[in-house]
Parts: sequence; structure tokens; C-alpha cells
Amino acid sequence: MTRYLRLVRLFTGATLAAQLEYRANFLGAILASLAESGVALLGIAVLFGQPGTTEVGGWSFHQALLVVGLFTLTEGFISVFIQPNMSKIAEAVRTGSMDFTLLKPIDAQFNISTRNLNVLRVTDLLIGAGLTIYAASHLSVTPGGVLAAALLYVCALVIVYCIWLALSTTAFWFVKTQNASELFNGVFGAARFPVTAFPVPVRAFLTFVVPVAFITTVPAQALTGSLSPGLVVASPLVAAALFTLTRLFWLRAVGSYTSASS
Amino acid sequence: MTSLWRKARVLFVTRFAEMTEYRAEVIIWMLSGTLSLVMMLVWMSQAAAAPGGEIRGYNPSEFATYFLSTWAVGQLMVVWVAWELDMEIRQGLLSPKLLRPMDPMWLHYASHAAERVVRFPALLALVALFAWVAGARFSTDPAAYLAAFGLALLGFSARFLWEYTVGLLAFWTESSTSFQEVVWLVYAALGGMFAPLAFYPEWVQRVAVWTPFPYMLGLPAQLLAGKADLADAGRGALVLSGWLVVFWLLRLIVWRMGLRKYGAVGA
Repeated sequence: MTRYLRLVRLFTGATLAAQLEYRANFLGAILASLAESGVALLGIAVLFGQPGTTEVGGWSFHQALLVVGLFTLTEGFISVFIQPNMSKIAEAVRTGSMDFTLLKPIDAQFNISTRNLNVLRVTDLLIGAGLTIYAASHLSVTPGGVLAAALLYVCALVIVYCIWLALSTTAFWFVKTQNASELFNGVFGAARFPVTAFPVPVRAFLTFVVPVAFITTVPAQALTGSLSPGLVVASPLVAAALFTLTRLFWLRAVGSYTSASS
Repeated sequence: MTSLWRKARVLFVTRFAEMTEYRAEVIIWMLSGTLSLVMMLVWMSQAAAAPGGEIRGYNPSEFATYFLSTWAVGQLMVVWVAWELDMEIRQGLLSPKLLRPMDPMWLHYASHAAERVVRFPALLALVALFAWVAGARFSTDPAAYLAAFGLALLGFSARFLWEYTVGLLAFWTESSTSFQEVVWLVYAALGGMFAPLAFYPEWVQRVAVWTPFPYMLGLPAQLLAGKADLADAGRGALVLSGWLVVFWLLRLIVWRMGLRKYGAVGA
């Protein structure tokens, strides 16, 4: 375990050193982060800007803002930790450099999931955290609620990681996986709004088919104290099930890997 | 003139052959642009829950019509040239293209036009399917469709030119594609992708009418929804044409300046 922690520290140092060489990119990353959170904020701002509108899907403005904050935070998590790693899997399979990863005396899934970071998009994480804290400060939040929300949000991050890993693992059979993650991004865009803001059939889709509801709505509900006990249990169960399934899928994919030349 | 026509035809035919290779991707790209559809669903359920079943005169079915129309028009407006320019300039792929006796812009323009032809049948099928599910009702006036198509063509050309200009910033900066994201946000907001423009605060509307954005996205959508008339379309076309000239000149200036800079680096 300590070995793996030390490796994470090493990987982080190496990738930081490589990225900070391009200082000009920093401005671009900030612009992109601002634009992305701008899209999410404008969406609810126009909704609440209508005369007589006090709630969307039963959520007040600050409650909905909480969802926007968590959404931005998750987008940041994806662009800092997940996407830089997962986008490299397809390339490694295609060029055969996956051989080197598999030969190393550490778990290959751990290696491909932690090797790279996109430090520049840390701004997303900051904006997301800022929005979440700002929104929460306008709501009555209990310490128990914060704890529950934090735990459920960890489950949410596991769910996001698993979906991305599963999509990227298909690279062992298909050449391109970028399109699949593009499609997930499209559906994930719905997480800007509380899931109750959608018509009922869509709500079911976002909960059971692509579990987007667990990513932003459920932790936000825990924070506002409006969470039903069933969902408290469901979220960790979904995360655990997805983690086991993607692990098995990954092992299966590695088992069928025959390098690029053969 | 005939040689120009032949050039244009060959350009289009070769780009079309290339784009048909990407037909599966084209459908995925279409489905991944979901902002209009997400906004549609949220507004529809907002209207359904509102007293009287409507917000500012829009009932759920009218919201469906408006947002599906913006989605469809937005699909005709997709431009990715900034990403390609960014890559071409950084990797030096631009150099061989400069040797041809033709501005490389036309190559990109032809690619985009050809992709639209590949996209169109799938677009019709998806809009029909979504309209059936969401209960949208489009205008029955053929003139409205012609006007919307004309505006979309002008709008696409304007967007192509400004994206091209933003892409050319890659001559100077490494983050030209992030500028593009910011410009996209302004386009989506003032174009009416979040809500019809009438839903925005008064002062935003007053600013927006001077920009090209409402006429390339919101106005064609309103035409398809039967909520705007041909006089509006005519005014929109005039404003868009004016902006087209501005973007054309801007592109030309940035291109000339960029080439000088590019030559200096390569030599």
C-alpha cells in the first residue's frame, strides 16, 4: 500500500514538472474553465430569471446552485485526473506501448489510472469547490449532512471513474474510444440540473441506465437533508458494483491483449 | 469562371468522399451536442409544472418545437476548423498547403459543406423521432423553411469565418482553442440555446440585437416554430451579411499577419 502511495507521489511530480513548462497554456485553461462553468451557471440563471419562478424541479436557487457546483467539481475531476489517463489507453493499445505497462511489477490498472494529470484544469476544481461552498453557505447545513454528502460524493467519483474506464477499456477491441466518451459527456451534461428538473421517463433513464443522478443530485440532496434513506444505500452499492464489474472487464481485456504486432 | 466552377466541384467531391468515411462518427457528434436537448427537457417540465401550464406564452409543446429547432439549426452550424488550424499551424502541416495556388481556407470550407450533406439525412430522421416523442409541431409554411435555410447558410459562413480567425491565433498563442470555447459560450447564450431570447433580461436583448448570434440560431429556430415572419428573416439576413463582411476582412488581416509570423519561425 505504501508502495502505491509513493508511486502516486512520483507520478504526480513527473507530470507536474512536464506540464509547468508550458506556462502560456495556463491562461487558456482558465478561459476554458470559466466558459464551462459559465454554461452551467447561465442555464440555471435564465431559468430562475423568469418572473414567478422560485424553484426548478422542487429545488430553490441555492440548492440548484449546489448542483452546478458539484457538476463543475466533477468536470474538474474528469479533466484533471480521469481524461488525461483514459485517453491514452487507446493509443497505447494501438501502438503496442501497452506492453511496457503490463510488464511492470505493479498493477496495470493502477498504473494507467494514475500515471498522468492535467494540472492546468485545477481551476475547474477551484471554481466548483467555490460554487459549492457559496451555495451551501446560503442553506441550512448540518455536520451530519456534510459528512453524508462527502461520502456520497466519493461514491459519485468512483462511478464516474468506472464509466470512463469501462468505455476506454473497449479500446482493446475497437481502435477508437474517443467517440464513446464524447457520448458520455453529452449525457453527463444533464447533471448540471437536479434530476427532478427532468420529465419522469428521463429521470428514470438518468438514474438507472446512465447513473448521472448519483453523481450530482444525490450528494446535493444529502447536503440539503432531503435525501431518502434508500438512495443513501443505493449510491455506494452502485459504486461498488460498477467498480467490481469494470475491474473484471479490465482483467478480461488485458487477458485478450495480443500486442500490436501479433 | 468555368475553371473556378471545376475547382469548386472537385474540392467538394473529394471532401464528400472523405466525409462519408466518418458517417458513424457524424451521428455520434450529433448526439453528443446535447445542450439544446437538456434545456428543452428542463423547460418542458418547468412549463408543465407552472400555473396555467405555460411560461411567457410557451407551453411544453412549444418549448419542444423551439429547442428542437435550435438543435437542428445548431447542427447545421457546427464548425471545427479552429481545432484543425491549431494542429496544422503547430505541427507545420500548413506548409505544403501554402504551395497550392488556392487559399487553404476553401479546403476547410468544402470539408464542412460536404459534412453537412452527410449529416442532413440523419438530422432529419433524428428531428422527426424527437419531435414525435416530445410532441413538437413545426411550421407548415414552405417559405419559412427556405428563409431559415438561407439564414442558416449565412450564419454558418459567419461562424466559419470567426472560428477560422480564432484558429489562426495559433500563430501567436498555444491556447487558441480555449478562446474558441469562450466564443462558443457567447454564441450559445446570445443565440438562444438556453432559452428564447425574449426570456433574457432586457439589457441583454438590447445588446444581442447588434450581434450576429440571435439571427443565426434563434431566428431560424423561431421561423421553423412559426413564431417569426419573413420580415424578421429579411432584417436578420441584412445584419448577418454585414457581419459576414466584417469577419471576412478580419480573417484576411489576421491571416496575412499570421503568415508573416509563420514564415519567420520556419525560416
